[in-house]
Amino acid sequence: MAGRHDPVMHPPLSHPGWQTWPGAVFAMGILGLSLSGLGALIWQSPGVDITSLWHSSYLRGVIAFSFSQATLSVALSLFAAIPVARALDRHRNFAGRSLLLRLMELSLVLPTIVAISGLVAIYGRQGWLTPIISYLAPALDWNLYGLSGIVLAHVFFNAPLAARILLQSFENMPSQQRKLASQLGLGSLWLWRTIEWPAIRGILPGLAGLIFTLCFTSFAIVMTLGGGPSATTLEVAIYQALRFEFDFGRAALLALVQLLVCGSLWWVVVRHNTNAALMPNRVSQEHPSRRDSTGISHITDSLMLLFFSAFLVLPLAAIIWRGLPGLWDGQVSLLLPATLRSFAIALPAGALSVIVALLIVTASGSTRSRIISRLCDIAAHFPLIIPAIVMGTGLFLLLRPSLGTRYDGFALVALINALMALPFIVHLLRGPLQGLDGDTLKVADQLNIRGWYRWRWLHWPRLRKPLALSMAYGTALSLGDFGVIALFGTPAQPTLPVLLYQQLGSYQIASAAGTGLWIIALLLANFGMFNLLGRSPRLKESNHA
Amino acid sequence: MLDVQNLTFSYAPEQTPWTFSFQLEPGECIAIQGPSGSGKSTLMNLLAGFLTPRSGDLLWKGRSLLKTKPWERPITSVFQENNLFEHLNVLRNIGLGIHPGMKLSVAQQQAVENGLREVGLGGLGRRMPSELSGGQRQRVALLRALLRDQPLLLLDEPLTGLDAETRALLRSMLLQHKSRGTAIVLASHDEEDRQRLADTVWNL
Repeated sequence: MAGRHDPVMHPPLSHPGWQTWPGAVFAMGILGLSLSGLGALIWQSPGVDITSLWHSSYLRGVIAFSFSQATLSVALSLFAAIPVARALDRHRNFAGRSLLLRLMELSLVLPTIVAISGLVAIYGRQGWLTPIISYLAPALDWNLYGLSGIVLAHVFFNAPLAARILLQSFENMPSQQRKLASQLGLGSLWLWRTIEWPAIRGILPGLAGLIFTLCFTSFAIVMTLGGGPSATTLEVAIYQALRFEFDFGRAALLALVQLLVCGSLWWVVVRHNTNAALMPNRVSQEHPSRRDSTGISHITDSLMLLFFSAFLVLPLAAIIWRGLPGLWDGQVSLLLPATLRSFAIALPAGALSVIVALLIVTASGSTRSRIISRLCDIAAHFPLIIPAIVMGTGLFLLLRPSLGTRYDGFALVALINALMALPFIVHLLRGPLQGLDGDTLKVADQLNIRGWYRWRWLHWPRLRKPLALSMAYGTALSLGDFGVIALFGTPAQPTLPVLLYQQLGSYQIASAAGTGLWIIALLLANFGMFNLLGRSPRLKESNHA
Repeated sequence: MLDVQNLTFSYAPEQTPWTFSFQLEPGECIAIQGPSGSGKSTLMNLLAGFLTPRSGDLLWKGRSLLKTKPWERPITSVFQENNLFEHLNVLRNIGLGIHPGMKLSVAQQQAVENGLREVGLGGLGRRMPSELSGGQRQRVALLRALLRDQPLLLLDEPLTGLDAETRALLRSMLLQHKSRGTAIVLASHDEEDRQRLADTVWNL
């Protein structure tokens, strides 16, 4: 065979610069875009008065409330998530377990505005469970609107996410330790002390940091369940300053506070290397039986999982129950154009997010420069801490001279949505893209499988499914967005979440439920479609050599 | 042809470094033996360019290879395990060794088919690595290495754990290539492999 006498060929795109620079340029672009958005706000408001932060009781109240609701939400989410994750780890074969796991993953992409309509149906004034709560705990004086509702909604979204990530840590425990624990017949307390606590101890600070950030920057939940100035977060106050008071200075100031708080938190988290996984991966290992999976534990675990499932399922059931009649109630003429508008924003946003994430992860994994690697990591997480509304408004101010049509507004929304999805997509793609083991890389290097050929033959087969899933997540997050669109959308031409918000605001509860159900159906269709596209080409692989 | 001149390496500064020196001519086979941790795999990785030596030189036809990337070196390795891409079938695993973009001429495709028949894997080209036994996987890896037709072959325990029949078959293929001028560096614990293949045995 040839080879011995052939000159060494250079596969397409095999120069190391192709791995690093596109991602690095995008990372710099993201940071530049975000900071210039913020800068534009400051530039437009010459009289930014930093002392107003402690002179204004309103601003002090907003900051204090943002902290208190986020802290409470973190505590309750973890309080619920840890025992649920333990129970799910202990019991691996009950009927409906995988359905419950999928439901827990859904919480990440379920549009907040849709979930809120379900929560209102269960815990609102006319809610299914409200009489029971009032009967069991009259002292609580239950009211969904205000701190209790905001925290409840945050727990609804974050407890499943936390439980799923903690479960993953339990599942990643070395199987030898599990076998040893099983053989020694360790009880629940000792299992916790010897293998479970060490397994999650490392990720808890990062996980708490993630939930705190998500709650601290919460917008749609506080906007709908906030109930007045006493229950307002920074993000909502920024929105109000921009939308109703046109006070760019105050918006910029509040955005800086948010950036400072969340940025410091992430800095601490990253510095201590306790960055929790944003998205759970699915793993399966051997799981020998445990002594604490029978008897009383079995009963308490079953009850806990039942309550937790009900907590997640009931709002969704309410949406379906109320939504089905509302779906046909003269809604089609509203839903179809809103659907088209939503997808016209969501599909480009998802695609952009996936492309940028891919480039950033590639750059971060291939560069030898610590600076570029750190730059990529910061850029990938930056959208989590800078308010989307601030970024959007800043960019709007910067681009205003050239923004003419409403399509430009939609393009801006798609861009911001893509950035907002970036941290999650980066996490989804990082494992598969950087997961080639050392031996495989050695063989690939020696066989000259580099550049485009490495992507084609080694990465693509492993990435096909995660890419499809990323596209599904990116599209879904944009499809359910009720942040930037609230600022830039026109009421006469709403996207689906804006339509739902309008219907909730005008007490068209049945129509709102119908719209909520329609959004959920679209999300499921979206995931189904991308799941089909991402199916493993195992059969094709075997037939086309 | 290959001239290893006081090539030194250590994984940590405080560790006593290994030093390697030897020469290898076309068609010659040097067998390296020694207990685990004696530096056999380290030497293989240094020659292949996966590790960078602390000092010394590695010459090929009088030209230093130290700055040459693994894919530019006239070398093919067969490791003890993990030689195959698990998500690609046998034909692709071999084909990528011949052209990294799988652009194979008809003659090359024919050579792959013939090679598979020769090593007793005729008709198994579309199997995935997970559907092969250990011996079959090693035959695929060795066939790929031989079809790459590079003048220096690095074999790190390539026949360990294989049945007697497979070992005999692979040994005879290696001897054929050796007689055609391929130089071989063989790390092996097996006395018989060393006796049949090696011209020189070097204790580490």
